[in-house]
Amino acid sequence: MNLSGATAIAGIGATEFSKDSGRSELRLAAEAVRAALADAGLSASDVDGLVSFTMDANAEIAVARELGIPELTFFSRVHYGGGAAAATIQQAAMAVATGVADVVVAYRAFNERSGMRFGQVSSAAAGQVNSSGVDNSFHYPMGLGTPASTVAMVAQRYLHEYGATSEDFGRVAVIDRQHAATNPAAWFYGKPITLEEHQASRWITEPLHLLDCCQETDGAVALVVTSLERARDLPNPPAVVTAAAQGSGPDQYIMTSYYRDDLAALPEMGVVGRQLWTQSGLRPADVDVAVLYDHFTPYVLMQLEELGFCGRGEAPGFIAGDTLTLEGALPLNPHGGQLGEAYVHGMNGIAEAVRQVRGTAVNQVRDVSHVLVTAGTGVPTSALLLTAP
Amino acid sequence: MIGTALPPLTVEITPTFVISAAIATRDFQDVHHDRDAAIARGSKDIFMNILTDTGLVHRFVTDWAGPRAFVRSIKIKLGVPCYAYDTLVLSGEVVEHDGDEMTIRVSGKGNLGEHIAGTVTVGGMS
Amino acid sequence: MTIEEDAARIAAQGESAPRLARDPVNPAMINNWLEALGDENPRYVAEGVAPPAMAQVWTMGGLNWQRTADDPLGAIITVLDEAGYTSIVATNSEQNYRRLLHHSEHVASTTKLEGIVGPKRTALGEGYFVTTTTTWYVGDEVVADMLFRVLKFKPKPTQSGVLRPVVSKDTEFFWEGMKAGELRIQRWGDELRHPPGPMPPDGDLDAKPDWVVASGRGTVYSYVVHHRPAVPGKKLPFVIALVELAEGVRMLGEVLDVASVHIGQPVEVAFVKVDDELTLPAWRVIA
Repeated sequence: MNLSGATAIAGIGATEFSKDSGRSELRLAAEAVRAALADAGLSASDVDGLVSFTMDANAEIAVARELGIPELTFFSRVHYGGGAAAATIQQAAMAVATGVADVVVAYRAFNERSGMRFGQVSSAAAGQVNSSGVDNSFHYPMGLGTPASTVAMVAQRYLHEYGATSEDFGRVAVIDRQHAATNPAAWFYGKPITLEEHQASRWITEPLHLLDCCQETDGAVALVVTSLERARDLPNPPAVVTAAAQGSGPDQYIMTSYYRDDLAALPEMGVVGRQLWTQSGLRPADVDVAVLYDHFTPYVLMQLEELGFCGRGEAPGFIAGDTLTLEGALPLNPHGGQLGEAYVHGMNGIAEAVRQVRGTAVNQVRDVSHVLVTAGTGVPTSALLLTAP
Repeated sequence: MIGTALPPLTVEITPTFVISAAIATRDFQDVHHDRDAAIARGSKDIFMNILTDTGLVHRFVTDWAGPRAFVRSIKIKLGVPCYAYDTLVLSGEVVEHDGDEMTIRVSGKGNLGEHIAGTVTVGGMS
Repeated sequence: MTIEEDAARIAAQGESAPRLARDPVNPAMINNWLEALGDENPRYVAEGVAPPAMAQVWTMGGLNWQRTADDPLGAIITVLDEAGYTSIVATNSEQNYRRLLHHSEHVASTTKLEGIVGPKRTALGEGYFVTTTTTWYVGDEVVADMLFRVLKFKPKPTQSGVLRPVVSKDTEFFWEGMKAGELRIQRWGDELRHPPGPMPPDGDLDAKPDWVVASGRGTVYSYVVHHRPAVPGKKLPFVIALVELAEGVRMLGEVLDVASVHIGQPVEVAFVKVDDELTLPAWRVIA
């Protein structure tokens, strides 16, 4: 059995992206799933599988109840924060390809700005009584307790080892905001930034400026996965799941893999990348659009290296010029990414990848065949290659 | 006699002990009898008062020196606190012997480490 | 007026007026004391005398006591409180006893400020050592005296509120080491491991780990300067470093008393006591 090409994303749905949704997370989840089903031309009774993140607060059965999904034969959760995003599609694809389910919806819904904000120090994460809580005890009590600070520790070493600069990080933010500026769904629609503004923005955790950090968002995204065969009969062109992979690396921790030899690297994304190229038979040069998880800019550079677009430490040179623009060699995050559009734990990036494959994106890249989309970094992660049919 | 070790005295510092000794030494500071007050002031529990330290050291030495011994001085330095539910172990050693007078070095260790350290001079030891 | 001038003024006032004990030396209070302290020496009852260590007990203020206006310790405490040295801890008590006291003798005490020394940097914070002497009289006869020293200090900014570690059987030794002032690194045979875990590198289920006490010296491998948001128990901004210890393992900790560091900066361990149950590893730069 081969996962590559067996399934497709047939529907995408989302709520508006805001700073205060004014409704419950369950309501957001239900709205996004309903919108995705409508986009796919399917109804609640067609759904027999639901997948989400372990961090999502909405139980599959609650979502099923609210939408009138009568029966579920498959429900699953993926761990490690935003690292789960693409893996929810992998789970769905595996369930569909093996006949465990016919139509699986992956969803992520939260009030991440008006409710629990991930950018703050989480005493609940620090105090969890399990192996992760024990891991966390070697950094939270010492004061390293925000996502930005955990990334900053790696970013500092990256700057040191490769002679990169904060401006190299800033170029990622500038591209994202440039793309968001022409995306009406983006929070920063109409609000591009300059590299000077990036450099002048206040410190969050040195070496990260405010504009190196993604925004905080209330919202939800849902994605419908079914067999490629069934997807062909549905209204929208299918986004074929050509490759789907998860990865964790040696001596892996959640955001603090600080004890392995090479600190300035994301070997878990290397694990993912190798699988993507093997499953699909494609190479980095075949990728037409890269939707790279951008909660913090330095990890975008390091992903490019791990995925084989350039060598270790070469990303600053690789992204110089117009490489990442819509007309460039590797257009990055045409929707504006999580820095520009919204932070929905990577799921809005998958929706954008589907639009790029369909040819319906607001910032559409020309002649798209293959789109790479990655999930949260610094944690065990995942990625997809989506292909036009 | 110099170098003689006194038999150690182990005292279970129960809340009852802390409180009854504080009251018997007429020390009514709340941290020696009111757990809520002690915690509110940043301690983890009620703890032993200094007059009780002095009294325990006195008892420790006379238990060994005998009823006729006269304690001439008790000089103590205070270290870590001794909280309710700690076990305090007093140990001592004769460090000077001059005529009928002896000087004994004393140490009291609780669960957190050395709580008291000092010297006691005893007369009537000829 | 400086603290030193206030102290000199209070010291110059000399002894406070004698304060008479509430009760004369009496068998009831002696018996209460013997009972509470577990002192079974029969001499006190047999001879009608008090244990010498009770000297101070006779003149304690009691339940509703308030300091008198001429009490020198009260006066200097007020001065130091106003200067920000708000916390107090007793450090020394040195009592001398001249003779045994008999039932019905009535003791009085006076207190005098000997002086203050400071400001001194102490483990608790910056403070002044305040020394007083108390003398106990029966009539005009001195029967006992005491040198009493307290530290009045400005409490250090606390780390109370820091997030506390979740301790497992595998990591307990590390936190116990912290309390004992030892930086412990787990050892399996010749191999060191941090953070520690339950399995040896070779998977031998019969192997048992021990630990080495690290030299505490190392160099900064990477670091951050945290500006925002707020972190429980920390004052912004602060520096956190991932330090490569001389022993070869990496460990995280706050770098104390600096605005920044650089990669390769030599540091040594510092032990930050949060409370009796928790001490955290931290670093200080080596000049």
